[in-house]
Amino acid sequence: MTKMPVAIEGENIIKDFKIGDTVTRVLKGISLQIPKGEFLSIMGPSGSGKSTLLYILGGLDSPTNGSVLMGGKDISRYNDEKKSVMRRRDIGFIFQFYNLIPNLNVEENVLLPILLDGKNAKDYRKQLNNILEIVGLTDRRNHTPRELSGGQQQRVAIARALINSPDIIFADEPTGNLDSKTGTEIMKLLKEINRESDKTIIMVTHSADAAAYGNRIVSVRDGMIYNSNS
Amino acid sequence: MKIILKYIVNNIKERKLRTIVMLLSIVLSSTLLFVSMAIGDSYESAQQKMAKGSAGTATVEVSAKQDATGNTVWVSEDEIPQTASIKNMVGFITAPALYNKGSYYENIDLIAANLNELNSINKPRLLNGATLTDFTGSSIVLPEKFTTKYGIKPGDTVTLTIGETKYQFSLAAIAAYDTVFLRSTRGVNALLPKDTLSSILNTSGGNSKILIVPSGGISTEELKSELSSSLLSEKYNVTKVYNETQVASDAKQKSLPFYLISFFSLTMSAFIIFGSYKVITLERLPVIGTFRSIGASEKMTTRILLFESLIYGIAGGLLSIPLSYGILKLILNGLGESLSMGIEIPMVVSPLNILLSCTVAVSVSMLSAYLPIRRASRLPVKDIVLGTVEEKNISNKTKLIFGAVLFILSVILPRVVNKNSGNLLTLAGGFSLLGLITATIIIIPMLINLFSYVLEQVYGLIFGNEGRLAARNMKQNKNASQNITLLFISLSAVIAISVIGNFVSSYVGDVFHGAGLNGFAQADMSEEFVNEVKSVQGIDNVLPIYQLTNEISTDGFDLNQVEAVDNVSLYNSMLNIHYDSEQVKNDVDTSFANERNILLTKDCMTKHNLTIGDTVSLAYHGKTFNYRIIGAFQSRADNSDAVIPAAYVKSDFGVQNYGMLTYTAADPDAVMVQIRNLFGNKTNWCRTIEEFNQDAMSTVSSFLEPMRKLTYFILLLAAVGIINNLLINYIQRKRSIAMYKSVGMSNRQNVKMTLLEGFTSGLIGAVIGMFVSYMEIGTIFIVAGPKILVTPELDAGIFMMAGLAGIIITLLGSVVPILKGSRMKLVEEIKFE
Repeated sequence: MTKMPVAIEGENIIKDFKIGDTVTRVLKGISLQIPKGEFLSIMGPSGSGKSTLLYILGGLDSPTNGSVLMGGKDISRYNDEKKSVMRRRDIGFIFQFYNLIPNLNVEENVLLPILLDGKNAKDYRKQLNNILEIVGLTDRRNHTPRELSGGQQQRVAIARALINSPDIIFADEPTGNLDSKTGTEIMKLLKEINRESDKTIIMVTHSADAAAYGNRIVSVRDGMIYNSNS
Repeated sequence: MKIILKYIVNNIKERKLRTIVMLLSIVLSSTLLFVSMAIGDSYESAQQKMAKGSAGTATVEVSAKQDATGNTVWVSEDEIPQTASIKNMVGFITAPALYNKGSYYENIDLIAANLNELNSINKPRLLNGATLTDFTGSSIVLPEKFTTKYGIKPGDTVTLTIGETKYQFSLAAIAAYDTVFLRSTRGVNALLPKDTLSSILNTSGGNSKILIVPSGGISTEELKSELSSSLLSEKYNVTKVYNETQVASDAKQKSLPFYLISFFSLTMSAFIIFGSYKVITLERLPVIGTFRSIGASEKMTTRILLFESLIYGIAGGLLSIPLSYGILKLILNGLGESLSMGIEIPMVVSPLNILLSCTVAVSVSMLSAYLPIRRASRLPVKDIVLGTVEEKNISNKTKLIFGAVLFILSVILPRVVNKNSGNLLTLAGGFSLLGLITATIIIIPMLINLFSYVLEQVYGLIFGNEGRLAARNMKQNKNASQNITLLFISLSAVIAISVIGNFVSSYVGDVFHGAGLNGFAQADMSEEFVNEVKSVQGIDNVLPIYQLTNEISTDGFDLNQVEAVDNVSLYNSMLNIHYDSEQVKNDVDTSFANERNILLTKDCMTKHNLTIGDTVSLAYHGKTFNYRIIGAFQSRADNSDAVIPAAYVKSDFGVQNYGMLTYTAADPDAVMVQIRNLFGNKTNWCRTIEEFNQDAMSTVSSFLEPMRKLTYFILLLAAVGIINNLLINYIQRKRSIAMYKSVGMSNRQNVKMTLLEGFTSGLIGAVIGMFVSYMEIGTIFIVAGPKILVTPELDAGIFMMAGLAGIIITLLGSVVPILKGSRMKLVEEIKFE
């Protein structure tokens, strides 16, 4: 059996939060490897540290200790400029509350990482059309987020995560704010993206149904990996 | 009730910063209103004090006319009829004198009166509370300004030239610049014992003038009229010491900028409070839901929330009183010191003033809060409890139409209302000022969208994608709308107030603008004297003018001053007389002197419904003469109501001597020295235009200085508003920054975008502010138009500076989101909805 190359790897990740004088250790030395093309579901109860782990892996947060290796480089030591470049080129993020810019329309929201990267949006027209077709929003391209349903907004967020053809997509409770039918549609879409384009997807969820779409499920409890099932 | 009160107090305590901002906006605006009203009253009081000058409580002055040979005739107290209308009278002897030290020459007006009598109407105020007892012989009292300037101390000898003789006096005391030493023009008053000046001038017990105080219940007008009818008009001049109406209207004119400041500050406060309450009610929706779900009615909920705004209003109003007193005192002290004459300005604060500013504080607070509160109270309970409240959006089209109609109406209304309709025109002006601001507030979101569209293309080319996004971010951005609104209101306020202030300054301070004369002399002058003046070395043109003051009446009204000249063309150019058309001017030039023609002021014509071609009967001591109106004129350099040909003033009214002459000369100062010498010790008032303007400008500029200081308060209020806006919108802003950062925006890009957004807000606010202020200035001058003659010159520099200041303010305002954005905990911001 050929070992798949590693997309991202966390080594002994420790994260402390200080509230007042009290220091709380949320992640207690987590290490995990995510092979390229894997759809990893991270599960765990509230406060277990699963989202914190996701944000550290995705470079939105920094570990107190430990490292996050992507392409052999420790991204946790990157400065703001490097991390920003990485976020807009190498990864895509999908959030529970979509995080769309309310006064930009669908197209503009999707193209945001391209624009922030200083590229010409016109050069990405074809790619944009393809992605909008994949997420089923071709006819909504000029709408603003407030004119869309929750499911549609999450599709915009997915399209935005895909626009720069990143290697890894991080998703934080992508169905957490959606009804079950829409949630299923979104999960199917993510699964399809994972399968068709061989993207690595790392998803945090508290829903067992959603987690089941992953190739592997990792359970986090009390800041440690409790279980890992393939 | 106790629980509700506790809830309200807790709300206020919990949001300390917002409470401070709201209170500050109320306190600042009601302070500005308070100070504006009090400055107007104090200014009027100071003007009255200056206009009264040495007259104190006396309001009527009687002097004798010169004799046929031009010699001064003295008037005795015995000549004044004994009447119950007179409370008190004091005889004054006056004469000009010259003080010389090295190369300095100082004109001194000598005043001599019986000390006891003088004390009864205008007791001299001496320095350090000293009193004048043995005031006889060669004693003299001089004001502090003069003694300080020349280092003269009590007991020192002061040499003055009176006529052509030098006299030595001993300084008996130093006086404060007040009472008899107060004057409205440059120069110095000096007090001498009456007997001393009487013997120098050989008045034989007579006086230059007698100042009379009316008895209680007798008006100045009544006393003047009574004395005029009993004293021969050929022999005596009976005049009011000063014109109360003129002083009041002058003060009102100069107070205009202060009221404008109040208007703008109140508008801004209303906007700040309205904006704050929109957020407050949004924040309190869960509590409102709880209240409503447990049975509170809409009315009760409204009352509870309004009660909070009432507390802000009362607290703001009360706090503004001591602050206003402090600021007013500082301003008036500074003002008094900056005046060249060093006058002490009395602080005039009426109870009505206090009551009104407190009432306005409460009203502004409650009315501004009412709309958002009422809207929140009326929301369906179910929507509030379930959190499904959605803001009702009025369509852009409706807003645009309403805003555009209101804007156009505001521009048109003052232009179509009859310019002579008085209050109606003022009302239209008020509607226009408020309408222009309201309409702009309504249209601003759409204007921003338009600007954003244009700037997106421009910024894209210059600043790349960050520029494009920054411009795009302005679109439908409520935060930007609110900042731009506050900015445009404050900028338009600053521009309008500066322009009006500068205008008032130049209008009042340069009445001879455009007039050809270089100097003038006011005195009783014979034909021979005028001929001597004409032969003075260096003089070019001399225009002698006959003057009849308060002596002629016509069909139902009095003419305060009638002037008569030989050469009307010279009169026109010397005093910058304006006629309605070139045709009228030509007619006047060709036919004025030939018949009994009269020129009337435009104001007089309008007031009495007269037209060119009408005939008016001029009545003088029982005789009537018909004059035909051949022109209506306006002039800022001339105070007369009417002008007639010189030939007829002599034949009809028997006037022999001139009252004034104006002249042109290459070196007016040199000519003025010679004319003063010609007058000798005769009473006269001679000024070059430069001297006159310097006096006037220093007075006016000093009075307008506080106004300039108050405009900083407007900017402070704008800054408070913008900070308030930053505070109430920061959560939204943080989240938006976090969203951008989560998809790859770096701190550097955030700085660039935020600065560009700040710059764009400033730019849009500045452009709108400049445009709105231009329209407002238009309205203000339309309303003031009938009363003024000159067209204001708009200084583009003021507009540009204000615009630049606006951009700087918003750029500085961007610093907070930039700093906070760079330190923000990204995960915390994006994790929580």
